[in-house]
Amino acid sequence: MSESRPYLRAQPRHWWAHQPYRAYTIRELSGVALAIYAAILLAGLVCLARGPDAFEAFRHFLASPVSLLIHLLLLAAAIWHMWTWFQILPKTMPKLVWRGKLIRQDVMSRTATLAAVACSIALLALFVVVGANI
Amino acid sequence: MARSANNSKQAAKKKPMLDMTAPDMKAPKTIELRVLRYCPSKDSAPAFGSFQVPYTDDMSVLQALQEIKATLDGSLAFRWSCRMAVCGSCGMMINGEPKLACNTFLRDLAPKPVTIEPLQNFPIERDLVVTVGDFVKKIESIYPYIMPKAPKTIEQGTYLQTPAQMEEYASFADCINCMLCYAACPQFGANPDFIGPGAMALLQRYSSDSRDGGQQARLDRIRGEDGVWSCTAVGLCSEVCPKQVDPANAVNQNKSKSALDFFLSRLRSKESVS
Repeated sequence: MSESRPYLRAQPRHWWAHQPYRAYTIRELSGVALAIYAAILLAGLVCLARGPDAFEAFRHFLASPVSLLIHLLLLAAAIWHMWTWFQILPKTMPKLVWRGKLIRQDVMSRTATLAAVACSIALLALFVVVGANI
Repeated sequence: MARSANNSKQAAKKKPMLDMTAPDMKAPKTIELRVLRYCPSKDSAPAFGSFQVPYTDDMSVLQALQEIKATLDGSLAFRWSCRMAVCGSCGMMINGEPKLACNTFLRDLAPKPVTIEPLQNFPIERDLVVTVGDFVKKIESIYPYIMPKAPKTIEQGTYLQTPAQMEEYASFADCINCMLCYAACPQFGANPDFIGPGAMALLQRYSSDSRDGGQQARLDRIRGEDGVWSCTAVGLCSEVCPKQVDPANAVNQNKSKSALDFFLSRLRSKESVS
């Protein structure tokens, strides 16, 4: 007569901080960076609504070295978020069949990344052109 | 002249055979295997046991375990069957990664000691054998068969499908139920009732089949936290899959379908009230 007494090992408490899950955790945290940037933009809008003095103070903060450092870090996080998001994009989409054959996942990722880069460059160019005409 | 050129060509061809640096398939080498042992009638908790196993470059981890069982310790328990990555029986954690033991070779792991544990996130029955009952119940719960939209009689003929329609689910039909994806999934570790990647791959195999009409029954099964919604798109399930089934894709496609179904079901219930 054999005895059955299954033993369940507990999941490590900080599993998300260790390999192989660290890359996933960083990808998700980079989304928080986007939320922080949105909050900064929102703060700018609130300052604009409060009047010229408040908005000038906000602009002064934007030009400070601390703000520049924060924005550089947020830019890096945003680029990382875009890159990793498009890496996982094919996992979230229905399979695409073209002329009876599956479209490869790396082709889908690359196309989406290129489209995002093209849109970002177009937007930047637009701001430069509009900015030069003001 | 031509003959000597031929000779030198032959000598060049033979040279690799005599090369002393080439791996010798019969050299007596040993490797340390640290195996997590658990005997329910004797042990209160699992503990590692160490074995020195002679190995050759063509040996898999499964063969090393068989060597231990045959010559060092006959009480070692592990599952295996086909030895060719088809049956899905010999899934285990090898150096912390979920792998098929038959498909993992000692030459790639040597000379460091190799750690072998039962699949993560599953209760251990004995040594490397885990409980699979819950997984089988999940597989059964998603209606793993074609439920025809309009049943046909034999006289009416077969259900036809184009190659393009088959492409949409073909990769999901390759699942061998090895449960490596469950061992890689931290959300299944946190919530053992989560339906998990393997069962979702099978669900997608049937729900995306053009001959099937059971989509709504399966959508009803995968609502809520224990359905698709425990998944946070970690994606490791697809990385560890030995058959490139891409279960992460199956789960995430069904998140969209489940969300749509949620709103449609509210509309349906309003219609039925009015």
